[in-house]
Amino acid sequence: MLKYILRRILELIPTLIGISLISFIMIHIVPGNPVRILLGNRYTVARAAALTKQLGLNKPLWQQFLIWLWNILHGNFGYSYVYDKPVVKLVLQAIPHTLVIVVVSVMFAHIFAVFLGAVQAYFQDTIFDQVVTVINYFFYSMPSFWLAILLIIFFAIDLPWFPSGGIVNPQATNPSFADFLHHLVLPVASLFLVSVAGWARFMRSSMREALLQDYVRTARMKGAREFRVLFIHALRNSIIPLITLLGLSLPALLSGALFVEEIFNYPGMGLLYWNAIMSRDYPIIMGVTFFLGVVTILGNLLSDVLYAVIDPRIQYQ
Amino acid sequence: MANSVLNVESLNVEFNMEGNYFHAVRDVSFKIEPGETLGLVGESGCGKSVTSLALVRLLTQSARVTGKIEYQGKNLLDLPERDMRDIRGNEISMIFQEPMTSLNPVYKIGAQISETLLLHKDISPREAFQQSLEMLKKVGIPRPEDIMDEYPHQLSGGMRQRIMIAIAMACNPKLLIADEPTTALDVTIQAQILELMKGISKDLGTSILLITHDLGVVAEMCDRVAVMYAGQIVEQGSVDDIFFNPQHPYTRGLLNAIPKIDAEQKQRLQPIEGNVPPITRMPKGCRFSPRCMHASDRCRAQQPGFFQVDNAEHLSRCWLNEAKEA
Ligand SMILES: Nc1ncnc2c1ncn2[C@@H]1O[C@H](COP(=O)(O)OP(=O)(O)OP(=O)(O)O)[C@@H](O)[C@H]1O
Ligand SMILES: [Mg+2]
Repeated sequence: MLKYILRRILELIPTLIGISLISFIMIHIVPGNPVRILLGNRYTVARAAALTKQLGLNKPLWQQFLIWLWNILHGNFGYSYVYDKPVVKLVLQAIPHTLVIVVVSVMFAHIFAVFLGAVQAYFQDTIFDQVVTVINYFFYSMPSFWLAILLIIFFAIDLPWFPSGGIVNPQATNPSFADFLHHLVLPVASLFLVSVAGWARFMRSSMREALLQDYVRTARMKGAREFRVLFIHALRNSIIPLITLLGLSLPALLSGALFVEEIFNYPGMGLLYWNAIMSRDYPIIMGVTFFLGVVTILGNLLSDVLYAVIDPRIQYQ
Repeated sequence: MANSVLNVESLNVEFNMEGNYFHAVRDVSFKIEPGETLGLVGESGCGKSVTSLALVRLLTQSARVTGKIEYQGKNLLDLPERDMRDIRGNEISMIFQEPMTSLNPVYKIGAQISETLLLHKDISPREAFQQSLEMLKKVGIPRPEDIMDEYPHQLSGGMRQRIMIAIAMACNPKLLIADEPTTALDVTIQAQILELMKGISKDLGTSILLITHDLGVVAEMCDRVAVMYAGQIVEQGSVDDIFFNPQHPYTRGLLNAIPKIDAEQKQRLQPIEGNVPPITRMPKGCRFSPRCMHASDRCRAQQPGFFQVDNAEHLSRCWLNEAKEA
């Protein structure tokens, strides 16, 4: 198992180089120039030439890429053009905020979706199931940013229950934890609702299948209650495919978080990334992309490992 | 007899198919005496599994079950689900045809046997574990201590069926229903499993309802036999009655279809021509008449009841037996 994990981590390297290369090419294909944005209305040809040289943007692209790779090998992700701070520092500042949103919403969404899908499968084709299915479709087909805007309109403006953005009240000198949670509700809710819908649908079909299996009949034959049949016998089997889905949906979640952070002005990775793209802050774009790549691959690895923990038939060499 | 283990009287099972109810089992009656093994035989699709699942009330929602299943003075069909749960796995157990899929793939063998004990007996998990281990030894599992800690996928089909027997027998039930317990296994393993069931039923005095389409198995295992065709029992009697004095043309047909070693070497097997009708298209009159060589107009028009053959226990649902009875 350990060997397997190690091998998977080694496999990470070429993938990361690939991801970096592609994003490097992408940012240079799209129009826009960081020097022009940085100088703004102080722009002169001479100043631009000097800054271009200072940032190393005058070198051929392939050289720029290799320099970037070389620096990364030495743990140097460069300096942000805009903030004039190390990329690593900015990313490390932003990570906890994103992590909170994503982890909290994923955790709740997963638990709730498993429960909802399981109960739906058990009561399949009843009115309950049909109503929940319709609601699920509604949220499933809704982009997270759109949902976020709706939530702001309903629960921050029409009903001023929650703040519409930020992490804490800016006026408070010593913001409380409750205030922090209060600001967390809407961003988490928008990610939660979007993820629950998809996962519950998946869980429902997976559970439907599990309930038809012979071992479910065996459990009933033993005299187990329906609760036990559903949540002890069928559930553990039916969440196995869901775990793969969790790993695979991590990138989608992160990009969902990107929009949500932008809308709620939540200073996580998403907002950092978004602003970096807007101002063509190349080192940050590259650094965050690299980081997201690592997270995605680690997410997949994590789900593979969980898979083996839950399903004894899987063995990794 | 008042102290039969199970007394089934005119059991009917209907399935709701797009709004209409169709009989999969019709007017089935039989008794199982203490310590006895009753064979229920018939071709595929005759309603053997439906009958057995009806006995423990494990049919799907679309099934409507009527009649009487008397167990210890109570009609199981009237029992609240909670009482029925107390009986299942405890007093009446069941093993199935598919040993490969009947165990839960994600739990260890030990846990799966203990579960039955923990559900029904007031014992600690530790005691349950000990008793499960004893049970594994009883069903002839080699290295029982190791197997307790293994998962189903690590075991062969024969082993898994032994485990199923261990689960079913863990609470020492009065009745074991075995739905084609050996069909999925190869011949030598089949013999071992049957031997095991025979031994256990003798040691513990368990009655067995053995469902099979293999008359060889019946001859080996059973005291009495009920032959089922298209949802009805067509002939019923002791093993000797059925093998040496079969009355119903269907029973005779089944007997002709088993290979005989002693008979003239190259005698061809004679499967009965035609198929079991689907429950949506049951023939009028005697249900076997479309496949019966002896069928008359009366057979095709009118359904026969049971006629007694040579003794009170030997019954046949065939017009040909009417004359003999009189
Ligand atoms: N849930 C159900 N809904 C509708 N019809 C069913 C259902 N279960 C069984 N049947 C029908 O009832 C009839 C009897 O099926 P059953 O499974 O009892 O046969 P069997 O005698 O056990 O056959 P086999 O030897 O193949 O196991 C078949 O025609 C089958 O199609
Ligand atoms: Mg069957």
